[in-house]
Amino acid sequence: MAGEGVRGAMLIAALRKELLLQWRSRAQFMAVFVFGAAALLLFSFAVGPVAEMLRQFSAGFLWLGLLLSSTLTLAESFHAEMENRALEGLLLLPANPRALYYGKAIANWLQLILLGIALVPVMVILYDAGTTRVGSLIIVIALGTAGLSAPGTLYAAMTAQVRSKQTLLPLLLFPLIVPALLASVKATSLIILGDPMNQSSAWIILLVAFDAIYWSLCGLLFGRVVEE
Amino acid sequence: MKRNLFWLAIALLAAAVYFGLLVTIGDQYLHADLSLGLPVVARTLVAFLGGLAAVVILLIADDFSNLSRPKALGIAGVVFLLIGSYFGLFVAPPEQFMGETQRIMYVHVPTAWFALVAMTLAFAAAVVFLFGGNHDWDARLEASIEVGVVLAFLLCCQGAIWAKPTWGVWWDWDPRLTTTAVLLFAFLGILALRKFVDDPHRRAMWSAVATIIAYVDVPIVYFSVKWWNSLHQQQSSPNTVSKPFWIPLRANAFGILLLMMAFIMLRSRITALRLKHELAPPPALDEAELGEAV
Amino acid sequence: MNGVVTGGWNFVVAAYSVTGLVLLIYGVTIITRLRDEISRAAKER
Repeated sequence: MAGEGVRGAMLIAALRKELLLQWRSRAQFMAVFVFGAAALLLFSFAVGPVAEMLRQFSAGFLWLGLLLSSTLTLAESFHAEMENRALEGLLLLPANPRALYYGKAIANWLQLILLGIALVPVMVILYDAGTTRVGSLIIVIALGTAGLSAPGTLYAAMTAQVRSKQTLLPLLLFPLIVPALLASVKATSLIILGDPMNQSSAWIILLVAFDAIYWSLCGLLFGRVVEE
Repeated sequence: MKRNLFWLAIALLAAAVYFGLLVTIGDQYLHADLSLGLPVVARTLVAFLGGLAAVVILLIADDFSNLSRPKALGIAGVVFLLIGSYFGLFVAPPEQFMGETQRIMYVHVPTAWFALVAMTLAFAAAVVFLFGGNHDWDARLEASIEVGVVLAFLLCCQGAIWAKPTWGVWWDWDPRLTTTAVLLFAFLGILALRKFVDDPHRRAMWSAVATIIAYVDVPIVYFSVKWWNSLHQQQSSPNTVSKPFWIPLRANAFGILLLMMAFIMLRSRITALRLKHELAPPPALDEAELGEAV
Repeated sequence: MNGVVTGGWNFVVAAYSVTGLVLLIYGVTIITRLRDEISRAAKER
């Protein structure tokens, strides 16, 4: 059994590999960003060019756009493994599947944070939804995307190996992340529209709890998903 | 061993029906005290625990070999539902504020209880499978998920039918009902996952993992929707039901309990047969296996 | 509105009918699928 130091080293190695892969496919990131921005534009068409209404819903639109884009990012994260049957190869190495999972989940998380931050200016422009509380906004984006990334990476590992993968990943992920979605939208909305009664702390706590539960649970169960 | 366990479950159910239902009927309509000295709280506890214990024992003890037992349970369930519906529709008086729509509660509340019970049985089956690898539990998992989905769907329909005359809208974002809707989609997704995975070992493992992840989410979804909704509406939901209303409620509860178990047991047999075929060794190697009775 | 829900019988009938129908139809599908599976298993031998 590997000791703490070796497991930590495996995680760092897995993470470095993932980040390198993502850097090499940064054109993919651009494409997903454009998809997200297009989604935000389409949402405005659903509501109409009424500035005040758009501003009310801006947080919801941002997170829906982010959620839809995340399915693309998450599915893509196992693409390399599937292309070259590399998943089996990775598991033959004396590396812990848990390190593999957390490496991928963290890499996906970082990519989603970047995506979220990139979509904020789009939101500000389209919906007149600016805010000065940039730090709080980034924190909410980080916590919310963490909630998407943990179960999303696990489900992406499953569905990558299955036919009809494009339908199954959102089908499994969307009901599950409802609490993270609700909390992220509410917290973001309170940042943009104002929070006179200081309700955002409750939503942040919910997000932290959701993230803590799913980052541990999915890590525990990941071994079962990739075992033969 | 299995046969004795089945009859133990029946005995527990009989005790539950006696203390949970018959005593109240005797009290209300026969003016006879059948309680054997047990106070109300203790009787309710016996009925509740006895019913749950019977459900668990029936699930564990079922070895998929007998068709007449689940069928008998199903018929008993229908009988209880007919009794409960008769009382609910024609005997129980209309309620003070809800009028006739109160009667919907007599089917809605039991459906809610057992939708959750079915999902919990699925979670238990998933955990047992993860630790033991016995594919009988995968069969029980698929059955409980499907029955849970049907009950959750029914719950949403009943909820909408109740909400319209009460609140004027078909959906009032009640936290319990909204959580059920989310759960419905989550478990439908797991059923879809099962359809697309051909390898039985992988299918069992993945559905077990997905079920555990989805079930852990249930309380989180409930609280998040509750907070989300509480900013807008202060509704009182029908919580306490007074004594004359117990009889149809509990009769229907036993009915749905029995019907749910019948459905789960029969549905498990379908998956078990399919798994037997998928997991069987090639015919040339093991002819003795195929001679087993179904 | 005097606080009492009126005219609820239609909805009550609807609720009970939906319940009965869903349970009945589901029960029938289970029995049908089970019969198919049993006959398929019998044919294999």
